[in-house]
Amino acid sequence: MTRPSAPLLEAHHVGRRFGDRTALEAVDVSLGSGDSVALVGSNGAGKSTLLAVLAGALAPTSGRIVHAAPDRQIGWVPQRPALYSRLTALENLEHFGRLERVRKPAARARELLDAVEIASDPVPAGVLSGGNQQRLNLAIAMLVDPDILLLDEPTSSLDPRQRRRFWQIAEVLPQRGGALAFATQHLSEVDAHASHVVLLEAGRRVFAGTLAAWNASSALESLA
Amino acid sequence: MRSVRFLLGKDTRLLRRSPALLLALIVYPLVVAVLVGLVVRYAGEQPRVALVDLDNIPSVVEVGGQEFDVDALLDQTAEDIELVRLGPDEAERALRAGDVLATITIPDGFIRALRGMFRSPELRLDFNSDLLGSRILNRVQALVFSINRQLAETYIEANLEYVDLLTDGGSGTFAGNPFDVIGLNEAGNRLRRLGAENPELASEFDELATFVDEAGLALGAVEASLRATAHPIDLVAVGTSGRDALLSTLVQAFGLALTIAFIAVILAAGSLAAERDENVLGRLLRGLVRPSELLASKVVLVALLATAVATILAVAFGVLVETSGIDADHPWERLPLLVVGFLLAGASLGAFGTLVGSLARDARTATLVALLLTLPLMLLGLVPAESVNGVAVASDLFPFSHSVDFFDATLSDADPTGNLLRAAAWLAGLGLVYGAASRLGMRRLAV
Repeated sequence: MTRPSAPLLEAHHVGRRFGDRTALEAVDVSLGSGDSVALVGSNGAGKSTLLAVLAGALAPTSGRIVHAAPDRQIGWVPQRPALYSRLTALENLEHFGRLERVRKPAARARELLDAVEIASDPVPAGVLSGGNQQRLNLAIAMLVDPDILLLDEPTSSLDPRQRRRFWQIAEVLPQRGGALAFATQHLSEVDAHASHVVLLEAGRRVFAGTLAAWNASSALESLA
Repeated sequence: MRSVRFLLGKDTRLLRRSPALLLALIVYPLVVAVLVGLVVRYAGEQPRVALVDLDNIPSVVEVGGQEFDVDALLDQTAEDIELVRLGPDEAERALRAGDVLATITIPDGFIRALRGMFRSPELRLDFNSDLLGSRILNRVQALVFSINRQLAETYIEANLEYVDLLTDGGSGTFAGNPFDVIGLNEAGNRLRRLGAENPELASEFDELATFVDEAGLALGAVEASLRATAHPIDLVAVGTSGRDALLSTLVQAFGLALTIAFIAVILAAGSLAAERDENVLGRLLRGLVRPSELLASKVVLVALLATAVATILAVAFGVLVETSGIDADHPWERLPLLVVGFLLAGASLGAFGTLVGSLARDARTATLVALLLTLPLMLLGLVPAESVNGVAVASDLFPFSHSVDFFDATLSDADPTGNLLRAAAWLAGLGLVYGAASRLGMRRLAV
């Protein structure tokens, strides 16, 4: 994938195996400043694994990840909310804020709760709706005020209004010089929010290019 | 270390929100500790032994003119042995099947030989020649000793009656034949009277009378001689009010170790696996927390909680010892040493728990596996090392028995240094090995 923007995060020939199963095989991806990259592909294509490897949550078994700008923060929103179900939303944000060495975790937590429109009720996060849990998931990733945000099917459990609100928050990053990468099954989201597209099939990259190139290519048919 | 503190704070908060879990983690091991302690104390206390009576012994037997209450004697043995009357074939089957640990056979003619006093009658004991068998042999030997002692008393009483007859005179029977004797005292009196009536023979009568008096004196000492011969060494048993079963140091040590083992292993396993259930491991391990820090937070959490519970339990044991009116002193000055042991044991057992947690798929599986592993591994520590091959090795590889050794040495050894250092080295070593294994297992947990 070539682009004029400066790369922030790159995957070079990244591969990942789980026992005998190959989840990723020699995949190259580059996230540049201002990019919004959509990762598409069928279930099991390797989208989640690629995002986890880019986030540093999973070590690649081959290839390497290059942080072109090591001072840039990375936020990761896994597909299934990664939070403590018996802590409240506020406690979750405060806890992860402390671990992320956020300067004023309590204040930052309240700020983000307001931003994602979740009430600071003293109820465990586990009893929040799926949509609210997903927004809390996003808020935790936003604690470090990331420059790069990696989103794994982030809107799958959100209603249309929540989706709009979600993208309003997420799309700020590319606009201010950061980068966004999101895995999605919804082609409408690709058209609406991506500047670049990467198509994965059985762990291999079969397409990488701009949105215009994607729309013009026949790769789209492989998803039909 | 700040991360460990944050994780510890989070886990403490989660625990406080699960009072039922916390209560179960504390009460369950305490109940199990008491039950197992009782089983340990009383298991095998009254082994079943078959009694095969081929002589049809009546409930009361007359030996040497004395009545001998057989039923009362057998009742006495019930404190040590549960005697079960069986026929010879039935007893043989029961011994082979392990339903009884030994068979005592009273052969035909036993009572006849006993009454005849010409030869010692024999009892036959059949037992399995293993450890328990030798224990039974000891108890039956004690039983025979007790019977012999009572028979000796009976024989002595019978003999003393004859001595009294010889001294004082009177009527008696021997071998069913009645007889009358005047006795040595009367014989001496008569000899002196005869001497007074016959002055020419006075000196000879006096000499005979003196001999009769000396014989009487000698017979007077027979009782003590007979008793001394029957019991060259007599055991004077003095009952003391020492620690009873539940308060013995070993049972205390076992109860403390069991409590710590349950809390540490189950909580560490469940708590680590819960991080995976919550899907937060990937988030944590992408730079927020090192795997070793996450493991350390779990180990510290369970070690502190187990230490708190065990300390309360140890103090309760001490108060019980002090207030129960027994003579033993509780070593309060060693409580700090005991607390160090609790921390070591909690950390070592917690490290084992994290290994289980790192290998299990989810918190439920981890908790169940931890419970299923902990119970037999603890019981392994109770099996005498010499009884089954490999038991000692298997027991050594689990921190439980070393925890028991540490606590028992602290509570009861006059100079516990050697045993404490040995147990502490085992606990620390096993903790490091299990911690390293958990670190490897953590690789499976991320994402």
